[in-house]
Amino acid sequence: MSKNLHKDICDKSRFEALFKQHAKNLHDFLYYKFGDRLNPEDKAQEAFIKLWQNCEKVTPSKAKSFLFTIANNLMLNEVAHQKVVLKHQKTITSHHTNLSPEFLMEEDQYRQKLEKAISNLTEAQRVAFLMNRVEGKRFKEIASLLDISTKAVEKRIYGALKKLRQDIEEL
Amino acid sequence: MNKEELILKWLDNNLSPEELEAFKALEEYESITKLSNYTKEFKAPEFNTEAALQSTLSKLESKSVSKNKWFAPLLKVAAILAICFSTYYYTTTLDTTIATQYAEKTQINLPDHSKVNINALSKITYNKNQWDANKRNINLEGEAFFKVEKGSTFNVITDAGIVSVVGTQFNVKQRQNYFEVTCFEGIVSVTLKDQTTVLKAGDSFLIIDGNQIERLKTNSQQPDWINSVSSFISVPLKEVLAEFERQYNVKIEVNTITTSTLFSGKFTHNDINIALQSITQPLQLQYKKVNKTIILTRE
Repeated sequence: MSKNLHKDICDKSRFEALFKQHAKNLHDFLYYKFGDRLNPEDKAQEAFIKLWQNCEKVTPSKAKSFLFTIANNLMLNEVAHQKVVLKHQKTITSHHTNLSPEFLMEEDQYRQKLEKAISNLTEAQRVAFLMNRVEGKRFKEIASLLDISTKAVEKRIYGALKKLRQDIEEL
Repeated sequence: MNKEELILKWLDNNLSPEELEAFKALEEYESITKLSNYTKEFKAPEFNTEAALQSTLSKLESKSVSKNKWFAPLLKVAAILAICFSTYYYTTTLDTTIATQYAEKTQINLPDHSKVNINALSKITYNKNQWDANKRNINLEGEAFFKVEKGSTFNVITDAGIVSVVGTQFNVKQRQNYFEVTCFEGIVSVTLKDQTTVLKAGDSFLIIDGNQIERLKTNSQQPDWINSVSSFISVPLKEVLAEFERQYNVKIEVNTITTSTLFSGKFTHNDINIALQSITQPLQLQYKKVNKTIILTRE
């Protein structure tokens, strides 16, 4: 395998390839886990900078878990467990124009409930569920990203779905 | 296939057409798809990989400069130590310089208790730290009288030549085109252009304009200038006048007078009028004082 030919990643082109491969996933992971308050994009970049500084010690096969662990720790250093806030990307629904006011109000209420319910999920559940539903990732991909088994991913996602429905009913 | 399996398969986007039909028949179908659709609104902000990469690379560049952060405090300490050490080294190896001005004389003691009397407008330089049992070196510009304690070789280094002794009393006068060494006690060796002359007590060694001039023995114990008198035996007038200028800080204009005339005599350092008379009378000259300038004319 070509990957194993290189013992380390102290090379700009190899570093750039890793960046293109992992940066978006890392950013999304941080966003879904911690929300947007703590600047997931900055943290993702910082993790890559740490990777570069430690490039002699990190093999390409270990790079992904290194990045996720570092970024996660960077976040945890800053979080004094702030409430997770995910912003609506309102543009998605803006094409529904000819809807009744009642429906719009209902829709708005539903959104608020959902937002609250999502922020009440555990971090693990939220990351797995949103990666699957929003980013359209298969269970297997998520499993390899998070370094867990597919079974565990299933469990987290199904658990999340169950909890969301329950919360929305109750609210 | 139970409900959970069906839902999971749908979540994993892995349903066969028949299974999809079964999923749609579930009572939860409606609420699950609604939930799923609305969840999509919580998409993470667009992540521009290329822009982020460029920004990261630029950060890397600026960070790589300060990569050795642990090193910085050490560098500071090292810099301070270097400054302290070099200051210490500089000050301890610095030469000691003693200089006199016009009409000024001074006496100093060297580290080995040898004494040096320094005549007007002269300068001696020596290094305390290199002043040890093996070597005593002193640089001289001008005129000085040395009483050297017994010890290692004592060198007086001048532009004109080197005067070496072991323990004695002697006077060195090195002025422009003029180099005179007088030995008052013991033995002095004078090295001039690889030629060494040995002087015994009372001997003088004089070079004017590159020519060595024979001198009579002197009986005095120390040079006259120590007692504020300059004495000369067959010395060209210009040297006498130059010494006069140094002792009184004046300018002497000679105009048409021949300054190569030899002069033998003395002048005091304490009274300018008497001093002028003692020079001008034997040579039948007249003098006129205008401020700090003295004009000499023939009678």
